[in-house]
Amino acid sequence: MKSFLIRFVGLLAVLFGITLITFTISYFAPGDKAEAIAHARYPGDFGIAPEVLQGIREEFNLDASFFSQYTHWLADVLRGDFGVSYSSRTSVWVIFVDNLGETVTLTLTSLAIGLTAAFLLSAVAVRYPNTFWDRGAVIISSIGAAMPSYWLSLLLILGVSVHLGWLPAYGTGTFAHLILPAATLAFWVMASQTRLLRTFMLEAYDQPFIETLRLRGIPEREIFSRHVLRHSFVPALTMIGLDMASLLEGAIIVELTFARSGLGSLLAGAVLARDLPVVMFLVMFFATAYVVINSVIDGVQHICDPRNLNKAKTS
Amino acid sequence: MSLSQSIRLSDSPPADPLRQFSKRVGVATLVLLGLWSLALWLTPYQPAAADFLNRLAPPSAAHWAGTDHLGRDIATRLLYGAGWSLGLSLAISLTGFVVGTVVGILAARSGPAGDFAVMRVTDSFFAFPELIAAVTFAGLFGPSTTNLVIALMVVSWMKFARLARALTLSLGDSDFITQARLNGLSNGLILWRHLLPNILPSLLVLWTNSWSRTILSVSGLSFLGFGVQPPSAEWGAMLLDGKAYMQTAPHIMIFPGLAVLLAVMVINLTGDRLRDLMAGKT
Repeated sequence: MKSFLIRFVGLLAVLFGITLITFTISYFAPGDKAEAIAHARYPGDFGIAPEVLQGIREEFNLDASFFSQYTHWLADVLRGDFGVSYSSRTSVWVIFVDNLGETVTLTLTSLAIGLTAAFLLSAVAVRYPNTFWDRGAVIISSIGAAMPSYWLSLLLILGVSVHLGWLPAYGTGTFAHLILPAATLAFWVMASQTRLLRTFMLEAYDQPFIETLRLRGIPEREIFSRHVLRHSFVPALTMIGLDMASLLEGAIIVELTFARSGLGSLLAGAVLARDLPVVMFLVMFFATAYVVINSVIDGVQHICDPRNLNKAKTS
Repeated sequence: MSLSQSIRLSDSPPADPLRQFSKRVGVATLVLLGLWSLALWLTPYQPAAADFLNRLAPPSAAHWAGTDHLGRDIATRLLYGAGWSLGLSLAISLTGFVVGTVVGILAARSGPAGDFAVMRVTDSFFAFPELIAAVTFAGLFGPSTTNLVIALMVVSWMKFARLARALTLSLGDSDFITQARLNGLSNGLILWRHLLPNILPSLLVLWTNSWSRTILSVSGLSFLGFGVQPPSAEWGAMLLDGKAYMQTAPHIMIFPGLAVLLAVMVINLTGDRLRDLMAGKT
């Protein structure tokens, strides 16, 4: 119970740190924020009167100290008020929800395809060690880990869209638009997870109890499906959590290369337009999502690992 | 096994595969650096010299990797680009290595409260995925090489801090550290002579991983327009140049991507081998 409390305090501290870092970046970002807000409010009006700018500065507290501005902003965020986009003048939350779907569809599709492929590939590699399949799995995962995803996207566009003309190259909307981006991301998931799953499964096979099971005459197939799999599941879960950041990064690169709408394109567009409310929200969202997902996985892993059962009882 | 036994039977000292491997990597690095400088010196082209009569030429004897949309020799640009892509990421990952190791050791040595505080700060930075931090920073402060390097350095040290802390903590109560302390060695001397040599190899493996990841980040960000800007021959920036001519001259985008892939693979495989050898040693 005590360890849980310490973890929880730690999580709160980290979330607090995330807001502080996010605010610091936006506070020191160059450019007059009052002017950006004024342009959003009065579009097309280029000669904004100094009095108007002064009014905005007072309204948004822009002349206040760093600390005062940070606490005001944090209070808004905690109340669930993430502000209004400078450029489109709609609520940041609404923009976020509009774009969330595309990114979630892309990541979940790639994760499902990639993990299934990784699982099959590593299972075959471990069941038949030092064969063609095993070598192939190792080579594919080395190439996949080193493959720049933006380059793979370009190669797929060149081959499948330009030469074969089977699928659309750029854009969002239909299922056909999803195939190439999802394939790019799924390839990376497959490569990185095959590498890990294969190692974890081999480590599981090295455990002494596997030998005991063999001596008891349990068939190989059952040893694999009931013991090795379960044993390799716990470390694999942690790695998937840690790779979440890379998955998000991959999704952003893929979105931008394939000109898909989604959170990545939204972030890049907002950054270039200096739409600070949108940028701050997205950066905070990505960081918080990463921390929360990993904390949840940490907990699940704690529950899944049978070695922790006795510890929990004794302490 | 039989090899090491047979060596031990003769009077020569046992061969250390880790040391042999380090030697081989060192020689290979020197050879590659030599070949690279030689190629830079021998190439008849300049990386920025435009030749409009030879635009978009496919690979030939005169231009081994063809020319781009301004008639610049792609092979020459790839050579110069290695300095950008590999050099920048080398500097970034080395900074992360040093800063992270110092932070990690400090955290482990500063008692439970200090450790908790330092590690939560580390976790806060760790929460920002590299690419998102870099896009935000380089985008808001203006896309440039300097801002790219600053952004990636700021998010490069956390993994090293975590590993250095874990290793330092696990070694803290080991017998040889206690022995050294009982012998009256100062903290600094224990750190330098006993702690660092024991934690450095693992950190080195992490560093190879970090270097190759940084190569992907630097070239990826440049490809997206947030990093090294196009007239410079960074590999990602070259890909960005080639993207528009994909249909008519695919070689412009094939070679820079291949360069990134190969560089990252070589560094990854070296790191893997190093890790395997160390695992075998202990």
